[in-house]
Parts: sequence; C-alpha cells; structure tokens
Amino acid sequence: MLTAIREVQIPLLAAMLLGACLAKAWRAWRPHAHPARSDPAGLFPADLRRPIMILVFAAELGLGLGLIGTAVEFGRGWPALPATVVRTGTALFFLVAVGALNEMRQRRPDAGCGCFGELSGTPIGLRTIARPGLLCASAVATLGLPPLRMPSSPAEAELWLAVLAFELALIAFLSPELSEIMVRLGYSEPCELRRMPVGRTMSALHASAQWRRYAGQVSAGSPSDVWREGCWRFVVYLGYARGRPVDIVFAVHLQSRRPAVRAAVLDADTDEVLGPTGTRESAVL
Amino acid sequence: MRHLADISRWCDDVTDSASPTRFARRSLLKAAVLGRRDESDLSLILTGNSDAGVADRSLVYAVTGRILDVSPHILVLHTDAGEQRFPLTASAEAWRGGPVPPAALRQGDHAIIRRRHPGGPVLDRIWAEIGRVTGTIIERDGPASLLVDEGPAKGRRIVLIRPEAASRIQVRFPRLEPGYLIDVIGLKHDGYLQALIPATSQPPYRAGHPPAAPMVSGHVPDPVSGTAVWHEPGEEPENLLGLAYPALDPETSCEHAASMSPVCPGDQNTVEEWAVDPHATGSGCVRLPYLSVGSLIRLRNDCAEQDRVVPVTSCGATARLFCDRCVTCGTSRKGRIADLTMAAFVELGGALEVGCFNATMMIGA
Repeated sequence: MLTAIREVQIPLLAAMLLGACLAKAWRAWRPHAHPARSDPAGLFPADLRRPIMILVFAAELGLGLGLIGTAVEFGRGWPALPATVVRTGTALFFLVAVGALNEMRQRRPDAGCGCFGELSGTPIGLRTIARPGLLCASAVATLGLPPLRMPSSPAEAELWLAVLAFELALIAFLSPELSEIMVRLGYSEPCELRRMPVGRTMSALHASAQWRRYAGQVSAGSPSDVWREGCWRFVVYLGYARGRPVDIVFAVHLQSRRPAVRAAVLDADTDEVLGPTGTRESAVL
Repeated sequence: MRHLADISRWCDDVTDSASPTRFARRSLLKAAVLGRRDESDLSLILTGNSDAGVADRSLVYAVTGRILDVSPHILVLHTDAGEQRFPLTASAEAWRGGPVPPAALRQGDHAIIRRRHPGGPVLDRIWAEIGRVTGTIIERDGPASLLVDEGPAKGRRIVLIRPEAASRIQVRFPRLEPGYLIDVIGLKHDGYLQALIPATSQPPYRAGHPPAAPMVSGHVPDPVSGTAVWHEPGEEPENLLGLAYPALDPETSCEHAASMSPVCPGDQNTVEEWAVDPHATGSGCVRLPYLSVGSLIRLRNDCAEQDRVVPVTSCGATARLFCDRCVTCGTSRKGRIADLTMAAFVELGGALEVGCFNATMMIGA
C-alpha cells in the first residue's frame, strides 16, 4: 500500500511540472499576455523578472523530464544518484514555491500565483500555498524509491488507480485553476466581440436568397461601402431600379452558421426606402 | 472569394474627402435595412454636406475659434461661422495654463468656449491654447523632454516638463521612462506641448502589456460604464462633434492603416523599440462591441448629467492601453470607453483641464 502511494507520486509530479511548464510557454507565446503580472517574478525588479521566469520554466522542464528519465530502469543498471538528485531538487523546488507564494500573498494580495500561466489569475489563498506543500511532501516520499515497474496483479493496478484518483481529487480541490478551465471550455465569445473576416460575410451574402432577389438590380461589381455595428455587417451596392439610381443595402448577421440576411433599397438621391424592410431569411453557407 | 481584392477600399479612411458623407449615411442605411430609426438627433447629423457643416449644426454649448479681441466685457472670436461676440460676465472663468481672468487671454490664442445656455451668448468657461498628449513614452532626453507616441493614427508629439510642473506631474507619473504611458494636459506651443497637469494616474504596467478584460458571457452589457476622455483635433475639424472609439471593426477600420504606418529609418533602433501598436495589445480592460466610423452612440456625462448622441468619427485604439479610472464624481469603472473630440467633451459638460468624466455609453442609440 505504502509502496503504491510512493510509486504514484513520480508520474504525478512529472505531469504537474510539465503541465505548468507548458502553460507558462503558452502564455509567453501569446502576444497579448503579460509576462510578469501574476506570478512571484513580479516581486523582483523589472530587469530580473524575465531571467527569473526563464529560470523557473527551465527548472520545471528539467525536473519534469528528469523525473521521467530516472523513473525506470534502462539497460543494465538504474542511475540511483541522478534519481535522488532530481527528486531532492523537486522537493526543494516546491519548498521554495511555498515560501515565494506566501511572500507574494502578503505583498501582492490581489495577484495570482501564475503557476499555470494565465489560468492562475485568482488571488493566492491558503489552498494555493497548500498545493506546492503537498507536492513537496510527494517529492520527499519518492526519495529512495526503486525503479518503477508495471503492476504485478490486477489488485495492485486497482490500488494504483485508487491512489492516483484520490490524489488528483486532492490537487483539484487545491487548484483554483480548475474553475477557470471549466469556464474557458464552455465559453463562446459574443457575436459583437468576435472577429469575422469580410470574405465570410460576402460568402454568406452571395449564398442568400436576398442576394439572388436583388442581384439583378446591382449595377456595380463590388460594394460601395462595407461596415460593421455589433453583430451586423452592412454591405451597400450601387444599383438601378424603377428607373432611378438606388443604394441596395444588405445586413448580414455575424453568426457562424445560417446567418440572417436582410435587404433594403433606397433612392440614391432622396434616401426614400423603396424596397421591403425587415424581410428576414436564413441563408445556407 | 469574390471581391476580396476590394477590401482595402472599404476601410474607414477618415482623411478621404468623400468619407464624411459616406459615414454620415451609414446610420440612415442601417435604419432602413433593420427597420428602425436610430434617433431624432440623426436628422441633425445627417443634414449638412461637410464635417464642418455637421458640427456647426450640432454644437449648442461649445464654440471653437481664434481670439480676435478680448476686453473685460467682451470676447471676439473668429469661428468657422465668422466673427462672433460674446459678452463676458463676472462669473465667466478662463484657463490659459491655469485659471486666469478672461481679460488675460491673448489675441491670436486658439480658444474653445462653453456657453452657459444652449445657443446663448453668455459664456461660462473659456480654455485657451489647451492641449493634451496621451500615449507611450518612446524617448527621454534629459529630465524634461519626452517623445510620446500617440498611436498609428495620431503620430508623435514632444512633451516638455518645466521644473515648476515636474513635481506635480511626477506624483502621478513616477515612471517617465520609455515604454511607460503618459497622459498630460498643458499649453500648446509650436512643435511641442508644455505639460502642466497630469490627466490621470500612470498605470503601473508597461504600455504594451495592459491587463486583459474579463470574459463576457451572453452579450456585452448595454449600457457600458467607464471613463470618457478628450483628444486634440489633429486632422479633424476643430468643431467636430464626435468620438474616437476604442474598438473599431478590425476588418474594415484602422488596424489596416496601422499596419501600413510609415517608420522613419533613423528611428528603428532606439525609438521603435518602445513604440506600441495598440491594436496588438488586446482589447484592453473593457470589452466593447465592434463598431465603425459613422456608428451613433448615446454618451452620458454622469458628472454633469448631460447626454448626447455622438457619432464615431475616428479610431481610438490608444484608449485601450489605459486601464484607469476617472474620479471626477465618484470612482468610475475601469477602462476608457470613449475618446471625445474637444468640442464634444465640452458640449457634454466636461472640463478640459480635468481630463475625463465618468461616462455611460449606450451603443446603437
């Protein structure tokens, strides 16, 4: 039982370290992200923040890969010393994290821990500090552990899974990032905030029944004006109808599928509305 | 895809001489196709064939012009409508680098005035030679000279801070260093602004890293609250009633122009390192729906309790960089929602030397 608990810690620690590493890399790669807004690097002078972020990133990557690389036996022997060094380093890393987060909580109570990049924007609380404490204890538990092996029986495999599930649940309880992930998974940007290429609007318009209805009156090859207001994009064509020059206005709703398209015809000189308004139909993209 | 090659000609180039009429018709066309009329004010905005004409008919409180003569009893102003005379009462206040008696204003000064009553002759406030620089510090020369980038649409300005104003400005702007934001009000001179008043408190982050706005579920709330500020006219008519909107549609508006903004070859190594393209920094700390030049917005000055329908007349992406609050009357929500022309700011009851007012904006007014 105790051995099973100790053996589970190594893949778990490696997954946590590499996950944090990937989340930080994702934030650094995104152009709109702030590099040192919500992590302990913000405690340092501006010139040192970037080197410290790189150091933390490199430590997480190195320890994560090191834990995996020294976990199992390759070839003739098992490198006991490197495994002990990596596991001790992991324990020290999380111990330092506990201290840094505690300091950050006192000096910047509004800041997040930044442990998992921009997912970690929630202000640091006791749960956030307890998590690296738990992981530090996990790393200490792996010291002196022999190489990992596959479970020898179904009962042992079940015990492994049960320990893993319990510990994952405990980490989830200590992780404010979980609620942020759930929000993001279910998030759909409102249509008025969504960028929509003009080309897609034109495709939707040209596939619509409203376009087919008024295309014969259009006298220009391209629109005279295109603009957007909230969830609608408007397209104006010059045309000729009832013996006079007209403006044919189309409004295309900026939803992804089956956008509504409306049309109106105005006298170009008097602005009198000639065509029907409010005729709603759904075009097939 | 049909007509993609023509996208560039739809872009909202406000310097295009044919554009004002095109933009002004947009609300009419929108109302026709969506089957609703926007506002009674629309007819005011749509009458007139030029920007100047539009603004002259729309402004009822604000008047802009050049001072031809001033005495303790009368102010003579040269405006687009010709020479106008305004009697000065004892309660009239004037600003020229600070509070001054109206008689201390100078001939030739550019002035903007606010009438006490709509269309009436009696003056309430006069501002002379007031200017503002808002943007990113990209170069510092000694303790008192700054080069500020106001964004791709407005270009760069020189700001001089004299010793008598330095402490006042540095209390609110402690980092007068390249890469940080600045927003100061002062006296306009040929080629530079003499900074006198901090218009806000300096955001603690570097200009290129404004905080991200919270995610919005459902639809963007309408009305939206925040801060309204003002900007100098630049290439716009001085008496234009309008606003620079921080979230113009990136597909047809100023982001295209921004990517094409020229760069001086000599600037590339030093100055360009700190220049920030506000279009590349995200939406800022307030999420606003995408609109276009010509869209109508009903803006309310929560401090003066005045509201007007104001058309979007230019790109205000630099406002996205400022995640600040206005404290003119209470504390506003974070974020700048409108960057008004000087005339519009005064028309809505704002005091130019204060720099902002707490505002509520109704979109699709």
